[in-house]
Amino acid sequence: MVRISVLQHAPEQHLPTRPGDPTPQSRNLNPLMHPFARARERTRALNAAKMDRIFAKPFVAALEGHVDAIETMSKQPDSMVNIASGSWGGDVILHNLTTRQITKRIPQAHKGKVSGLCHASEDRLLSCGVDRTVKLWSVGNSNGEGSSTQPLNIFPGKAAFNAIDHHRSDRLFATASNTVQIWDETKTSPISNLTFPTSIETITALKFNLAESSVLASCGSDRTFTLYDIRTSKAERRVIMKFQATSLSWSPTLPTLLLLASEDHNLYTFDVRHLDRPTQIYKAHVDAVTSCEWSPTGMEFVSGGWDKTVRIWQFKDGKGAQKPEVYHTKRMQRVTSTLFSGDARFVMSGSEDGNVRVWKAKASEKLGVITARERGAIEYRNKLKERWSVDSEVARISRSRHIPKSVRSTDKLNHTMLEAARVKEERRRKHTRVGESKPKAEKKKFVVAEQA
Amino acid sequence: MDSLFAKADAIKPLAKRQKTSHKSSQNASKRPSTENHTAQSVSKHTSVPRSLLPASSELPDVPKFSHIANKKLRGELQRQSAHNARAKALVQDTAEMLMVEDAGKIQVEGESERTWRIGQNEVVQSAGQEAAKGRRELKLDGGPYRTRYTRNGRHLAVAGRSGHVAAFDWQTGILHTELQLQETCRDITFLQDLTYFAVAQKKYVYIYDRDGVELHCLKAHIEPTRLEFLPYHWLLASVGNAGYLKYQDTSTGQLLVEHRTKLGACTTMTQNLHNAVIHLGHQNGCITLWTPNLPHPAVQLLAHMGPVSSVSVDPSAGGRYMASSGKDGTVKVWDCRNWKGAIREWSTRGSGSEVEVEWSQRGFLGVASGGNVNIYTPPSIHRTFNGHVQPPLYLTHPIPSRPLTSLRFAPFQDVLTIGHNAGISSILVPGSGEPNFDSTEADPFENRKARREKEVKALLDKIQPDLISLDPEFVGTLSRPSKLVTSDGKPATDTPYARLPRFDRLRVSGKVDKTEDADAIDEVMDDDDDGSKEEKAKLREEKQKKKMRGKNKSMKRYLRKQRKNVIDPATAAVRAKLDKMKDEKRKAILARKGIVEEKKRPSALDRFQRKK
Repeated sequence: MVRISVLQHAPEQHLPTRPGDPTPQSRNLNPLMHPFARARERTRALNAAKMDRIFAKPFVAALEGHVDAIETMSKQPDSMVNIASGSWGGDVILHNLTTRQITKRIPQAHKGKVSGLCHASEDRLLSCGVDRTVKLWSVGNSNGEGSSTQPLNIFPGKAAFNAIDHHRSDRLFATASNTVQIWDETKTSPISNLTFPTSIETITALKFNLAESSVLASCGSDRTFTLYDIRTSKAERRVIMKFQATSLSWSPTLPTLLLLASEDHNLYTFDVRHLDRPTQIYKAHVDAVTSCEWSPTGMEFVSGGWDKTVRIWQFKDGKGAQKPEVYHTKRMQRVTSTLFSGDARFVMSGSEDGNVRVWKAKASEKLGVITARERGAIEYRNKLKERWSVDSEVARISRSRHIPKSVRSTDKLNHTMLEAARVKEERRRKHTRVGESKPKAEKKKFVVAEQA
Repeated sequence: MDSLFAKADAIKPLAKRQKTSHKSSQNASKRPSTENHTAQSVSKHTSVPRSLLPASSELPDVPKFSHIANKKLRGELQRQSAHNARAKALVQDTAEMLMVEDAGKIQVEGESERTWRIGQNEVVQSAGQEAAKGRRELKLDGGPYRTRYTRNGRHLAVAGRSGHVAAFDWQTGILHTELQLQETCRDITFLQDLTYFAVAQKKYVYIYDRDGVELHCLKAHIEPTRLEFLPYHWLLASVGNAGYLKYQDTSTGQLLVEHRTKLGACTTMTQNLHNAVIHLGHQNGCITLWTPNLPHPAVQLLAHMGPVSSVSVDPSAGGRYMASSGKDGTVKVWDCRNWKGAIREWSTRGSGSEVEVEWSQRGFLGVASGGNVNIYTPPSIHRTFNGHVQPPLYLTHPIPSRPLTSLRFAPFQDVLTIGHNAGISSILVPGSGEPNFDSTEADPFENRKARREKEVKALLDKIQPDLISLDPEFVGTLSRPSKLVTSDGKPATDTPYARLPRFDRLRVSGKVDKTEDADAIDEVMDDDDDGSKEEKAKLREEKQKKKMRGKNKSMKRYLRKQRKNVIDPATAAVRAKLDKMKDEKRKAILARKGIVEEKKRPSALDRFQRKK
């Protein structure tokens, strides 16, 4: 007796039962049924990297209005749409990001440049200028209604102000001139003066800590940054650095983390518990960095500098700095201030050409509605890119950026100089007696002294 | 400020928590088991997807990587291997659910019963109604026929020697096109799917679409004899009477590369589905394996004592086995990992004509010789066997109309199609076809929309021809250590090329002048010494240090000083002079010893000698 069975596919299992039904899919996971699986996946990763670069169109909008260079910008803390910008001509303009319209224009808010702006609450704006005044403005609601071009209050000072920041919860604000002054919104004179005992400097930037809102950090012209506590009205610590810092920003998620933009083309993160060295150096700018701000997620930060570029850095929790995303346009001049939007999807840059530019935080992100299928495809592509990121070709494509010639050549020059210095140092060490000169870590070189 | 620090400590990241020693179990028990309160509170009310659940509490075969000192790397490796093991277990789980269909088979009860005694009538009677349709006889009078299936086994294209070409849906019997080309057609192949097929005609390769409209004439392929289409690389390979293997990229239209085999006309070609290597069988009994990126065969072996008549690669075992048959009437099975000898060989009966071999998807080997088609089954044909007898026969089927020119197993069906002189006959071979197809790769039941979508996807996933190699898994593996070597012979992985010393750079780029090294010079001087090479080498170190003594030292020193890595005319002149002196010295030595050097008799061929 012989039993014979011959393979026979049942068509009803593989064909749609009714017209219009989806065709049933059958799967066989045997790897032999999927030849070249790896090579095909690599091709897909390559395509994903290429698509990422093809669709990298980060520029969203340019908000015009200023006739002079923009000096400072501020975003309304609980709003995604309202930002204010102040220029060297003394104008303050309130922009609406969704409509890309000017909601309010305050011409000649200050005589000379507006050096600092910050939102006091959702309908009030503080501005300070080199005309030695701080002014409190009513900016109304988001439509600009119920606002006037006259300040609600004027706080006279003794010296030109350079920066201003509002306390997170109390009705206090701090200004930076040759000292740090704490003001009450209801009083016309400062309630306290904070200064480090031995310092004679011009404070250029200051910021309140976001978690511990009585802690204040400032940086000044004598290459220092200082930490104050307004409850004790004292300067707690001071660090002298090799170069002057121009801007600073507290991390929104890690309360002890402070980001500094320095004139030596680098950015530094400091853990304020260990001020003897920065936790990480971020190198990419080819000229002085003038502004920096954390994303509200604390996962990335943006910086702008005199090299006319905006850079977006991923924060890896002190585990190495990667090459940042770089944005530039032909007409953008030196970037003086940068902001991250409240939803961490956009970045704003104000530059000396008088425009506020809006960029996507992720260059190739698609704006608008994304269907579930599309979302799935995007996630798959991202995973592929991550998985094949060590493949030289995929890495080369996702690394490639078009950079202006001037930036590129300056970068090359900087690299040459640094390399020469490194080689020289190496040779010097090679020809000195063993143990006489130890190499100093790059991080340790930056901090000159720490004072308490 | 202190409150800030306190606050910072409160949300200190997990990675930075205080170190605990793993040695004592006390510490381990002290460690709080519930560190993440949020996750704990949520976990009661949520269910993790099955794919994320650990398949079992203990994965037995996960290596511990205890030899790796770096903690982070070790953790990462452990995580990866655990993930892989879990994925494998899940695949095994799901395989049972996904594999719904069973392969065909023939079961005999007693020892005395033999499967090969079963004829096609019996098989057809016991087969289902649909499956029985696979047994067909087509009487065509176009000469011996070549056949080819699409990858999903749905459509068949046939080409008769005298120019009769047809393409049809094999299941429903719908004819797509029928052409009378009025000239010799030697082979036919579908391109990516049923919409295009290529025919190797008398002079060139032509591409037709499903309706039989001639789309392209590939004039670069002259007198083609065999065609193969590499579906994942979109390459059409042809070999012809001139012995050139040509690759045409069908997605861009470029002729990618042509390889001169230097082995004359070739009438045997097949591809390995798993690594896209082309196997050619030649008139002198050689089988050569080709990839587009190598100008010479990747493997060349002498397989048969006469011309090779057919080659086929086993798709069931990942391309590990190759079968070849020669005009000497033998069939050989080879292991593609080790070419030292065939693992099994036997002679076919009634030889003297062409012997065709072909593997099915499940590793059944069909051999057509004389007027018979014999089928052999896997475990016996894959095993090494020293005797010269044929393996146990599975099925046999006589076909009276010789020659049998083509054997094709239909993918995903138990059907073997034989092209012969009087047309095409297809027989049922229970168990030869893979029962479970994958819709993303090849689906016999796909509709037009799915086919179109698949075509676009396949184009996007097209693999570059450079990636074809004998081992298809090299993509994504670690690269070999660099060739850069420092002067002391150690691999210079850290030192970039630009920072190597000049000599090393020259050596790496292969520009070092090796003609003039210490050995060459010393041999001139130590001509009459009888010392062994080792001694010479030992002495050389000392000799270099010594001051030059004896005749001719200035010349030698000059040469040593001038020793450079670049050949320039001055050095060449000096070297010529040295050669001349060496010759004179040799003559002098010979004269001293009293040996008279025979003068060459002048010959007519002297005029061709190059003047020094």
